[in-house]
Amino acid sequence: MIAATELARRHRLRWWEALPWIASLACFFAFPNYLAFGTQVLITILFALSLDLVLGYAGIVTLGHAAFFGAGAYTVGMMAMHWGWNEPISGLIAAALVAGAIGLASGLVLLRTHGLALLMLTLCTMALLEQAANMGAAWTGGFDGMPGLSFSKILGLFGFDVLYYRSQYLYALAVLFACFAIVRTLVYSSFGQSLTGIRENLLRMHAVGAPVRVRQVLAYTVSAALAGVAGALFTQANGYVNLAVLSLERSAGVMIVLILGGYGRLYGAFVGAIAYMLLEHVLAKAYPTAWQLGLGITLIVVALFARNGVIGIFDSLRRRIERSAR
Amino acid sequence: MVLFIVSVGLSVTMGLMGFVNLAHGGFAMLGGYAIVLSMKHWGLPFPAALAFGFFAVAAVSVVLERLLYAPLYRATELDQVLLTIGLVFTMIATLTLSVGPETQTVELPEWLRGQTDLGFIEYRTYSLALIVAGTALMIALWFGFERTRIGARIRAAVDNRRMAQSMGVDVGRLFTLTFALGSGLAAIGGGLGAEILGLDPQYPFRYLAYFLIVVAVGGLGRISGVFFAAILIGVLDFVLKIYFPKGGTLFIYALTLILLLARPHGLFGKKGTS
Amino acid sequence: MLETKGLCKNFGALEVAREVNFRLERGARHALIGPNGAGKTTFINLLTGVLPPSRGSVLLEGEDVTLLAQARRVKRGIARTFQINQLFRGLTVQENVCIAVSERLGVGGSMLRAAGRRADVLDEAARLIDMLKLGQDADRRIIELPYGRQRLVEIALALGLQPRVLLLDEPAAGIPSAESHILLDAIATLPKDIAVLIIEHDMDLVFRFAERITVLVSGAIFAEGTPAEIAANREVRSVYLGSALDG
Ligand SMILES: Nc1ncnc2c1ncn2[C@@H]1O[C@H](COP(=O)(O)OP(=O)(O)OP(=O)(O)O)[C@@H](O)[C@H]1O
Ligand SMILES: [Mg+2]
Repeated sequence: MIAATELARRHRLRWWEALPWIASLACFFAFPNYLAFGTQVLITILFALSLDLVLGYAGIVTLGHAAFFGAGAYTVGMMAMHWGWNEPISGLIAAALVAGAIGLASGLVLLRTHGLALLMLTLCTMALLEQAANMGAAWTGGFDGMPGLSFSKILGLFGFDVLYYRSQYLYALAVLFACFAIVRTLVYSSFGQSLTGIRENLLRMHAVGAPVRVRQVLAYTVSAALAGVAGALFTQANGYVNLAVLSLERSAGVMIVLILGGYGRLYGAFVGAIAYMLLEHVLAKAYPTAWQLGLGITLIVVALFARNGVIGIFDSLRRRIERSAR
Repeated sequence: MVLFIVSVGLSVTMGLMGFVNLAHGGFAMLGGYAIVLSMKHWGLPFPAALAFGFFAVAAVSVVLERLLYAPLYRATELDQVLLTIGLVFTMIATLTLSVGPETQTVELPEWLRGQTDLGFIEYRTYSLALIVAGTALMIALWFGFERTRIGARIRAAVDNRRMAQSMGVDVGRLFTLTFALGSGLAAIGGGLGAEILGLDPQYPFRYLAYFLIVVAVGGLGRISGVFFAAILIGVLDFVLKIYFPKGGTLFIYALTLILLLARPHGLFGKKGTS
Repeated sequence: MLETKGLCKNFGALEVAREVNFRLERGARHALIGPNGAGKTTFINLLTGVLPPSRGSVLLEGEDVTLLAQARRVKRGIARTFQINQLFRGLTVQENVCIAVSERLGVGGSMLRAAGRRADVLDEAARLIDMLKLGQDADRRIIELPYGRQRLVEIALALGLQPRVLLLDEPAAGIPSAESHILLDAIATLPKDIAVLIIEHDMDLVFRFAERITVLVSGAIFAEGTPAEIAANREVRSVYLGSALDG
C-alpha cells in the first residue's frame, strides 16, 4: 500500500517559493529607474491575490472586487485629506478594517444568492460605491477625486512620497509579503481546504455538515480586507485617488490578471500580474489597439482551452512528465 | 425604449440560453456600425439599413456561436465571463482598426426628425417612433415565444436539454437560431439607439452595467418583464436626474440591489429559472 | 431512532411522498426498495433536510428535527451518500475524506494550522481509505478514478462523519460486482448500534444485507416486513420483484 503523502507535504515551504521574493529584491537593485512601475505591479499582485481567495479557492465569481480596492483607497485618501491622518501603516490597517467591514456586510446579504444573481449583485455593490463616491464630492472629491495627497515617513524613518520610489517599492514589497503569508496560511489550513470543498461541490459540502455560508462570508471578508490594503497602497504610492479605482474595468482587469496567471494556485497572481503589466506597459502605449486585440484573443483562447492559466499549463506538463516517469 | 430593444436581445441570449453574455453590447455596437456605415457609404435608407444590420450581425453571431459559445454552454460562469469579455475587446479593437476611434453619427431620414403634434403635447418624432417600434417588437416577441411552437421548443430546450433532445428537437440548431435572434435584436437596438446613446468603440463597456441591470430586474428570459423593467428604469432615471441631478444613478443601483436580493429571479421572473 | 410521521411531499401535482410513517430502529439493517421513480431518493432528501416536506414531520430519537437545516442534522448524526456521486472532483481522495473528517471533528473552520499537520484528521482519513481499499489512489484526484472507485470514496465520506444513522442511496450501483464486497465489508465493520438504511435495486445484495425491508411504490409504503415476509408477499412480487426473485 502506498501511503498518502501529498497532503501532508503540501503546506511545507519549497525552495522555489523563495524565488519571487529574491527576484523582487533583485529588481530593486537592477532596475532603479523602474521602481515606480514595480510598485504598481506589487499592488496588482496583492489585489489579484485577494481575489484568488474568493474566486480561486472559494469559487465565488465576482465582478465587483474593485469595490473593496476602492474602499481601501478612499479610506486612506479621506483620512489624509480631512483628518490630516497620513501615517501610512495605520492607514493600511484602517483601510483593511473599512474594506473588511464592507465585505462582511455585503457578503452576509449577497452570498445568499449564487450564479448570475450574485454576479449582478457584486457589480451593483461596486457601482453603488462608485456613485456614492461620485456624489459625496465634499468628502471624496467627486469625479476628480483627491489629488496631491502626501503621507508621512514610514515608521518615522523612510521618506515616503510619489518621489521616493525606493522606499515605496520596499514598503509595498513588505506589505505584499505580510499579506501573502496570511493568504498562504489560510489556503493550506483546514479552512482553506473547506473553501475548495465549497468550490468543488456545494451539495456535498452541506451533506458533510459544513456551515457553508459562514465559511464563504469569512473568506469574502478577509479577501475584501486584503483588497482594501491593496487599494490603500495604491493611494499612498500615487498620492491621489479617483473614481477609476472603483470601476468595472478594474474589477474585470484584476480578474483577467488572475485568470491569465492561473487561479486557485497562490502564485498565479504573481505570474499574471507581472506578465500582464509588463505587456501592457510595453504594448499599450505604443499600440493600444493591438494590445486590446491581443488581450481579447488571449482571453478567448484561455476560456476555451487553457482554463488554468500559465501556471496551469506548467502544472499539466509536470503531471504528464510525472506519469510517464512512473 | 432603446434600453429595452438592446436589453431584450440580451434577455433572449442570457435568459433563455443561460449564458453569461457580456459581449451583448458588442453585438449592439457592431449593429450600430453596420447600420450607420451602410447608410453613409451605400446610401441605404434607414429602415433598409436596420434590416441589413439585423441580418449582418445575426450572421456574424451564428459563426461566433458555433465556434466560441457552443463549447461553453455547460462551462462555469467564469469561463463564459472570460470568453465574452475577450470577445468585446476583440470587437472593440477590430472596429477601432477598421473604422477608427471617433464617434459615429446617424443621419435620420426627414420623416423622423423634428416634432410631432399629438394634440395635447409636442413630442420628438424619433422618440415616438422608438416607442412604437419597441412596443411592436415586444408584442411580436412575446407572441413568438409564448404562443408558437418554436418558442415552446426553445423554452423546453432550456428547461431540460436532454429531454428536448430525446424528443427530437435539434437543440444545437435551435440555440444557434435563438442566439442569432438575440444578437440581431441587439444590432437593431444599437442602430436605433445610436442617436441617443452615441456610438463609438467604447460603447459595449459603457452601457454594459445598464443592459445587465435591465435584464436582471426584468427577470431572465421574460420578454414582458424586460420591457417593463426598461420602462421603469428609463423613467426612474429620467425623473431622478431631474430631482436629484447627482444621486439618480445611485438610487437605481440601490433599488436593483434590494430587488435582486428580495427576488433573485427579477421583478417579473418566475421561480426556477436561474 | 429515526422516524417519520405522515410525511408528504409534492412536486407541483406530483406526489412523491404520501403519508409516509416509517421507523428506523437503532442498529437496524434496513432496506428500502421500490420501482424507479417511487420516491426513494426524495425520501432520503426529506430525512436529511435537503428538501422541506410539504406536510408531516421527521423525528430523531423522539425529537422533532423537521425544521433543522441539513448541516445541523449531520451534526446530530445523520449521514447519507448520493445515488449519483457528489464528490470534490478536482481534489484528491485523501482531501475528500479529510474534508468530511475535519467537519466531524469541528476543525473545518480552523484557519491557522495547516491541514496537512492535523495528525488526528490524517490518521482517521488514512484508516477509512484503507478500509475501502483506496490506498493506491489516495493521492489521485477524483476525476482520474474509474467510477466504481469513486463510488467507494462516496461511502468513505459518509463513514468519515461517524453517523448514528447512515442512509445509503444505491451504494452498489456502478461498482463492479467483484468489488461490491468491499462495500459490504465496510458496512459490516460499523458499530452494531448504528442504524443503516440502504436503497438498492440489486435484490441479491438486499437479501444478504437487510434484516427488514420496506417497499415504496408511488410515494407510499406498500409493504414492510422481514426479508422472508417480503419475498413471500404475492403483491410485492407482482408489482415489483417479479422476475428478480423467480429467476
Ligand atoms: N426536484 C424535483 N422536482 C420535480 N420532480 C422531481 C424532483 N426530484 C424528483 N422528482 C420526481 O419525483 C419522482 C421520484 O423521484 P426519486 O428520485 O425520489 O425516485 P427514486 O425512487 O429514487 O427512483 P430511482 O430508483 O430511479 O432512483 C420522479 O418522478 C422524479 O422525476
Ligand atoms: Mg433514486
